[in-house]
Amino acid sequence: MNKRNLLSSYAPRSVIVLTTMGAFLFLNFTSPMQKTSKTGIVSFTFNITVKGERLVLNDSQYTNIFGEKYRVSKFKYYISSPGLIHGNEIKIERNGYHLIDAASPASQHVVFRVPAGSYDKLYFLLGVDSARNCTGAQSGALDPMNDMFWTWNSGYVMAKLEGFSISSAAINQRMEYHIGGYKGNNKVMQKINLAATSPINIIAGKTTEVTIETDIDKWWQVNQPVTIQELPICTSPGELAKKIAVNYSNMFSIQSKQIK
Amino acid sequence: MRPGFLIRYLMFVTSTMMMLGAGEKHSGIPITPTWMPFRIPAGWPKPPTDIFAKNRLSEQGFELGRKLFYDGRLSKDGNFPCASCHQQFAAFANIEHDFSHGFNNTFTKRNAPALFNIAWMTALHWDGSINHIEVQPLAPLTAPNEMAENIDSVLGKLRKDKDYHNMFKAAFGTTEINSQRMLKALAQFVGSIISSNSKYDKVKNGEATFTPNEQNGYDLFRAKCAGCHKEPLFTDNSFRNNGMPLNIYTNDIGRMKITGDKQDSLKFKVPSLRNIGLTYPYMHDGRFTTLGQVLEHYSTGIQINQPNLDSLLRKRQPMTSREKSNLIYFLYTLTDTSMVKNPRFAPH
Repeated sequence: MNKRNLLSSYAPRSVIVLTTMGAFLFLNFTSPMQKTSKTGIVSFTFNITVKGERLVLNDSQYTNIFGEKYRVSKFKYYISSPGLIHGNEIKIERNGYHLIDAASPASQHVVFRVPAGSYDKLYFLLGVDSARNCTGAQSGALDPMNDMFWTWNSGYVMAKLEGFSISSAAINQRMEYHIGGYKGNNKVMQKINLAATSPINIIAGKTTEVTIETDIDKWWQVNQPVTIQELPICTSPGELAKKIAVNYSNMFSIQSKQIK
Repeated sequence: MRPGFLIRYLMFVTSTMMMLGAGEKHSGIPITPTWMPFRIPAGWPKPPTDIFAKNRLSEQGFELGRKLFYDGRLSKDGNFPCASCHQQFAAFANIEHDFSHGFNNTFTKRNAPALFNIAWMTALHWDGSINHIEVQPLAPLTAPNEMAENIDSVLGKLRKDKDYHNMFKAAFGTTEINSQRMLKALAQFVGSIISSNSKYDKVKNGEATFTPNEQNGYDLFRAKCAGCHKEPLFTDNSFRNNGMPLNIYTNDIGRMKITGDKQDSLKFKVPSLRNIGLTYPYMHDGRFTTLGQVLEHYSTGIQINQPNLDSLLRKRQPMTSREKSNLIYFLYTLTDTSMVKNPRFAPH
């Protein structure tokens, strides 16, 4: 949504939200550079894989770190406020909300503008900020029609992974992770910073495409083990959802970048 | 379509045409709705948040919301409009039903709450699960034991109705029908239902006086009930455990389902007492049919051994039968006939 109305800085409310999250970034409201400089286009392309191999929905079987076999039928997640960072300055797409869906290749490109220049990190929020969770009916990527809004307990599912596993004792050997929660201790939104090995150059009038690998295998591969056998289902906010969210915050890495 | 609406609609079209000096044929030319103020009754606090901050109230938005509220097409088989469980004559609660009826001979798990003064509520539903009036309809609309629909399918049905094209345009400027507009229109209608014209209100405004029984009941109310049912809304929007045993058929733990906190076990939202004479049966599961039974619960029935029992109820609220009947006399003064009979809130 709102792909044209870009950059500039956060609205004051978002600043408060960020500050309470322990924001460390200096947000530049009135940078003259920003107003006068030319902009280039950034395209984040999310390449969804399992251990480096492109995800095949439904048909392919994968094995996680615990030796549990699984298939994936649905995989979706929200990316919001994508941006680039140079030093302590951040340029983001204001009001940028995007739903990445493994079933829709078109959804896997997040395109926005930033001032031309050289950046060293990319940035995005994995999930939807608290304000958008509790201020009524939204549209675009946040439309409740996208099946990412809990109707029984208002709030967005920030990431959804569904499938089947012979390790699951749930009905139909189901594996179902709907990870959400925006209030108090149950917040699951993750702030993602990925440092580039070489500068990300944005050239006025050109598109810089950054391919970001999203490795589903990382949902299991971290220090807070959640096995399918023990915990095949998570469909409400709480401790388990938080644990899984911390795990999956590690699934992103910069794969390649090119200027077109 | 109601003649009044048609006239207003035609006036809009005409005035827009005049302003633009051109024929109004394409949906690209926006129409401005008739903005409507949201009036806070005299002496009432301001709502905790402005539910219309991003959904400016208009006559046309309200009318569209009303049509949607009474439209069975929002449910899977056409039989369950919002109004099937929220009846105007019952202050928009569901008269005589402890649990409401849903799609395919199902029952809901809770008693349908009355709908009025929602702008003053901080969270909706008995467990506070819903955080904004605009997203509330998604719950009954998609629940398999209520309207059993999905939004996509509902929008498809609405798009086939020419009346809706006109009404969405009148309310929101273009004929586009989407979930956000549908939900905002419903919020405009439901959020505009205000109940502030009961005998109690007239007494407060100096336009009427209580009978001696009512006055005595009011004094008792202030001494025994007002700690949770705070005037003038007659609720403090809190969640409390009022000492009722768990319903073993629904196993409904209330607020705890939402917060995951054991402290919230068996806590439910304090409902407003306004229009209580019309909204029987009572409590989250409709277990009490009469106000007498409700008062008997507070007088002698509270399970005082429940760990989360509200601190105000630890000693129960013993009442004599005379006190109970006077309290009921007072509670009946909270009935707002003008709201229940207001043609603006009725189907058109």
